[in-house]
Amino acid sequence: MDAVEVVARTPADQRPPVPAPVQPRRRRREGTPYLLALPTLLVLAGLLGYPIVKMIVLSFQHLTLRDLWTGRTPPWAGLDNYRKVLSDPLFWTVVTRTLGIATVCVVLSVGIGLAVALLMRRVSGWVRIVITVAMMLVWSMPQLVSTQVFLWLVDTNWGVLNWLIDMIPGVDFTNHSWFVDPVQGWTVIVALVVWGAVPFLAITLYAGLTQVPREVVEAAVVDGAGPWSVFRHVTLPFLRQLLGIVTTLSVIWDLGLFTQAYVIRSSKPETDYYTLAIYAYQKAFVISDYSLGSAVSILMVLGMLGVMAFYVRQMFRIGDAD
Amino acid sequence: METVQVGRSRAATVAFNLVGIAFAAVISFPVYWMINTALKPANEVLTLTPQLIPAHPTLANFTSALHAPNFLADLRNSLVVTLGAVAGGLVVGFLGALAIARFRFYGRRALVLVILIVQMVPLLALLIPVFLTLNRFSMTDTLIGVILTYLILVLPYTVWMLRGFIIAVPRELDEAALIDGCNRWQTFYRIILPLTGPGLVAASIYGFIQTWNEFIIINVLNHSADKQNLMSWLASNQTLQETHWGPLMAGATLTSLPVVIFFLLIQRHVAAGLTAGAVKG
Repeated sequence: MDAVEVVARTPADQRPPVPAPVQPRRRRREGTPYLLALPTLLVLAGLLGYPIVKMIVLSFQHLTLRDLWTGRTPPWAGLDNYRKVLSDPLFWTVVTRTLGIATVCVVLSVGIGLAVALLMRRVSGWVRIVITVAMMLVWSMPQLVSTQVFLWLVDTNWGVLNWLIDMIPGVDFTNHSWFVDPVQGWTVIVALVVWGAVPFLAITLYAGLTQVPREVVEAAVVDGAGPWSVFRHVTLPFLRQLLGIVTTLSVIWDLGLFTQAYVIRSSKPETDYYTLAIYAYQKAFVISDYSLGSAVSILMVLGMLGVMAFYVRQMFRIGDAD
Repeated sequence: METVQVGRSRAATVAFNLVGIAFAAVISFPVYWMINTALKPANEVLTLTPQLIPAHPTLANFTSALHAPNFLADLRNSLVVTLGAVAGGLVVGFLGALAIARFRFYGRRALVLVILIVQMVPLLALLIPVFLTLNRFSMTDTLIGVILTYLILVLPYTVWMLRGFIIAVPRELDEAALIDGCNRWQTFYRIILPLTGPGLVAASIYGFIQTWNEFIIINVLNHSADKQNLMSWLASNQTLQETHWGPLMAGATLTSLPVVIFFLLIQRHVAAGLTAGAVKG
């Protein structure tokens, strides 16, 4: 991770498109990329394109379980599904909650990630290795497993967290249940999400920090800049692009939050613990209203497309995606 | 880094070191607690004062996890499904990555765009039509259906990761091989394929981790308990035996072990792929 360099464009990309060196092959070569991309295109079209089209159609139909088994074409429903979703007060509660939780998660994880990255610059080499190893362990944990471990940590009767809080004088947390009050429950879930997200952010941002040229920092210090203005006016501008990308990725991941909230409620989340993804899942696979679930999924993906477009634009701007 | 910099005192470094160690201890505690619990006999798991170190470490929890119903069947399914999806993703992905990395063709930008976006769309949002389609072809409750679905999970990132590795192979090598009489396809498998070896390893490990960790999709597509994978097995164990924390943590340790090992091998490629060259780590 030491040989880090800003790569605006790889040398191979920088060259203008080279005319084919061996002229006679030119005609054949024009077909080659399509042939190579064909399997990818087939998989994308068959396993992604077709389902998407089907889902859009489905969201305008009314598919019942009986249609599923008899194979009858489900009746046309027009905008009924969308109307039903958009007039469901729970939907709007869930949308607000998903946005709110995602905001909290993103702010906390990017903030802590950046703080840890800065910390890693300041500590001795061996401490940096300890931090890195700890973060790798956390990063590699499967989401399901880490959720189960957190559930055990906050267990009502035998959890370590209750025992630890109980040690504070005057606080009684014996047999405290963390999921009765959704605010407390969500605190646990947010902690879990942030815990899982910080390693990627910190390690990536640290790699970015090592690209900030030392001379520039030293020049700023010589010119009388304090630590804060060095960070604000030197480090941050260098890091801006990378921060943009990792923040966008975090937004996308946190808006799609499912596993942690779903598993921590033992696969039977109360409506207080619904995120948009869980809401869609429940509609489709628990009450078998596939059409309604499709409508919710489509609304969700449409909402996220804006953020995704932002990410893709950044990737193209770096030039690496080009 | 022994050079003392302006405004950096030794005392401050000690203080920062302490903060760093404390941070590392706090974030790795859950992982430690999982292993710690897994190694404890039942009577030490449920104690009012949690014990930081097992007094009588035992592997009993691991044995009981291994002998739990369907563990072996679901382990086998995990391997089949993972290998199937990764192998498929690797073959298809390598060809696709070649096209994107080595050629400029009409529609290339659109393809890159689709791959970047698909990588981010939560697959869960597409699960409904996938389920209905597989259901129509009687492919629910089969491993083939799951492999096909996982292919979509694996492919975009595989293409993207391999693309980065292929770009790193100098074009001059292709050209030299062409001049020496190779045809276009020979340069692919004689020059580019061997040189992207590490990339193929990294991409397959990443694909392995993604599919190994997945449990919602397989749970929706397959209803039989012996057609699940290990993660799904673990999820169902949680709801079945909520208070049996020892065996549950042992199962959790077992299922995450391969992931942790593999992940440590390829970590830097994962970060580089997600930020696409903004940082080359």
